[in-house]
Amino acid sequence: MRPPIAPIPPRQSMYGIDPSLVKTRVSELPGMTSVTLSELFPDLPPVIYPGDGGIAAVRKRTEEALKGIDMSRIKPGDSVNICASHHGFTLLGGEPYAEMLRTIRDAIEERTGCTNIRLRAGVGLRFRETEEYIRRYKLDEYFKGKAAGVAPVDEGVAIETEIGTLYGIKKIYDADWIVHAHNSDVREVHFHRMVDRAVKPFGMSYARIETRSTYHQNLGPRAANFIARAIFDSPFVQDKFAFACFLTVAPHGILGVDADNDLYSLNERITGVGCRYYGKMMTLLGEIDDCIVALDFPCPVVYVFSAGVVYANFAGANTDLFDLESPLPAYTWYTESFYGRKGFPLLPEIPKLNPAVRMCVHNYAWTGYPSAFFSEHIPTVVVGSEQADLFNRDPQNLNYMKHSVLSESTESAMDFARKATGVDKVLIFDGAPGGINLSPPLRDFLLSRAPEVNRRVEEELFPKWLRQRGVFATSAAA
Amino acid sequence: MKLVDLMPVVDTGKCKGCKTCVRVCPVLAVKIEGKVAVVDLDRCRGCADCEQRCPEYAIAMVRRPEPVSVGVNVDELDYQRIRELCLKARFHPEQTVCYCTGTRADEVAGAILLGAKTPEDVSFMTGLRTGCKVECIEPVLRLLEAAGIHPEPVPDGWQWYGRTVTAWEIPEHVKQKYASRGFYFDEDIEILDRVVSAPLQGKE
Ligand code: SF4
Ligand code: SF4
Repeated sequence: MRPPIAPIPPRQSMYGIDPSLVKTRVSELPGMTSVTLSELFPDLPPVIYPGDGGIAAVRKRTEEALKGIDMSRIKPGDSVNICASHHGFTLLGGEPYAEMLRTIRDAIEERTGCTNIRLRAGVGLRFRETEEYIRRYKLDEYFKGKAAGVAPVDEGVAIETEIGTLYGIKKIYDADWIVHAHNSDVREVHFHRMVDRAVKPFGMSYARIETRSTYHQNLGPRAANFIARAIFDSPFVQDKFAFACFLTVAPHGILGVDADNDLYSLNERITGVGCRYYGKMMTLLGEIDDCIVALDFPCPVVYVFSAGVVYANFAGANTDLFDLESPLPAYTWYTESFYGRKGFPLLPEIPKLNPAVRMCVHNYAWTGYPSAFFSEHIPTVVVGSEQADLFNRDPQNLNYMKHSVLSESTESAMDFARKATGVDKVLIFDGAPGGINLSPPLRDFLLSRAPEVNRRVEEELFPKWLRQRGVFATSAAA
Repeated sequence: MKLVDLMPVVDTGKCKGCKTCVRVCPVLAVKIEGKVAVVDLDRCRGCADCEQRCPEYAIAMVRRPEPVSVGVNVDELDYQRIRELCLKARFHPEQTVCYCTGTRADEVAGAILLGAKTPEDVSFMTGLRTGCKVECIEPVLRLLEAAGIHPEPVPDGWQWYGRTVTAWEIPEHVKQKYASRGFYFDEDIEILDRVVSAPLQGKE
């Protein structure tokens, strides 16, 4: 039996329990195994990380990608903000993204003579998260004391757009030039639906609360993605935008680095990569008919990873998240908001959370994202009273434990889940790089279904997904 | 409904009086007195915004000795008026507008009927916007506007800046221009409209 893959270790953070309290990883339990994503889909392209070249491969590819970038508008006396987001630091331990940021800084200084180069790192709903990453990766030293985490409640700046005034975070835009440093991992595909993925941070981690609330409350589940484009296309942003540099990511690792002065060209390319490879993984996970899910990763409940896919996606894997004809995935904030007072959807066609998830064992996951919807609709066992206390102290999760039960150890939680559900398929969200830690019956199940899923995505779904986004297969060639 | 069971404690040795906490507090519970931040615990709704943004890490959130429950009981109000206000703002009355506290549109409308005139009043009365502090400002501004109230942003504050566009206000030429890029503007309006007019669950 293939041994489990070493999961991403717990991280010290104000949003999670102390790593010393994570006594057992779910993959360490007897009988767990793993499957690599290349076993499931042998046609996945090669990755540069993880790989023999180590982190140096990321630097090399970033330098190569930046060679083709026009930086001539940046003058020695100018200021440049390299704009980053928390999300990149959650990929494969975070070091690849940190190294890309350092390399961008070095390239700008070397090519332009400019030295006033700042790092501005936006967040989701954990306002200190990128401050933690800046410390962890010593980015403030690398940026000579010019690295700052920014949050959507910080001072704003009004941005006039085609659809009226929207608001950005002032510190993102307080330089002559901005460089958009991101990644192509799909993560919140339930929200952005792979529409303008490359542009999204302009409406999210670089944006103020008004803009983010517009995205999640004012426009609708698919139209919302226009917010980012409206801001990016505004004269205010266009006057400052220098170029974009992205880690290109697939479920099994980092494919390379892509950079462009034209964000929309880059967007077309990553749309292809995202739909094709994440589409395969999500379609395969959507085949699972019943399972126990184990959360075991240093991120909030919704963002824990397995097979490069986050739990929030799996919770909605009973619908095709890439198919734009289907308006409401089983989980988005629009969907959540459309549940009435009795706890049922207000419209009959709103899908329920993935019924394949028979129970969720929350071994290790962070606070800092409203997650009660999950424990309310999926039976959830939380391991350890310290973790329960942490959730009870989080203003975003005051109701999470109301719907969860507590277990004192990983072993007893999994034992309970198995006995209560009678299910032997276990899917572990622990970020295992390049693969999935899981139980043998689930491994057999996925291996048996993968070839047909591969065919269906390549021949039927991928072309349809591209068509729906107005992206042509040639420009999206991966 | 929100149970407020946390409160901030300011370390006056660390506080530099920079006013960040004053500018972000969604219920205006912080003042600077004698060059340090002082929290009015009767107003505080335990959102931790001040703790999360203080540049000096001078604030810690601790348990309240006596937690307080805040919320608006819509059963004690004229639900027909609440419903009309929600529909005018294009919300289903039972639609959740704050994901952290589970506050629904009807509770915000209820707070407005009870006299709320600003987003800060609404947060104080319902607890809304005291969880993540990010996603729910626009529904409040839309519901206030539907009631004919046009609040001004807090002077020198960063609490909020203004109401933004809704699905129904996207200009037709913009919809046309981007029709093939996967935004589905009109189709989403159709869904939002159907949600707004869906039957009540809690009342019928
Ligand atoms: S944000 Fe911190 S340093 Fe600034 S006034 Fe408030 S408590 Fe003091
Ligand atoms: S309501 Fe929030 S920001 Fe205001 S004092 Fe209380 S915890 Fe701080």
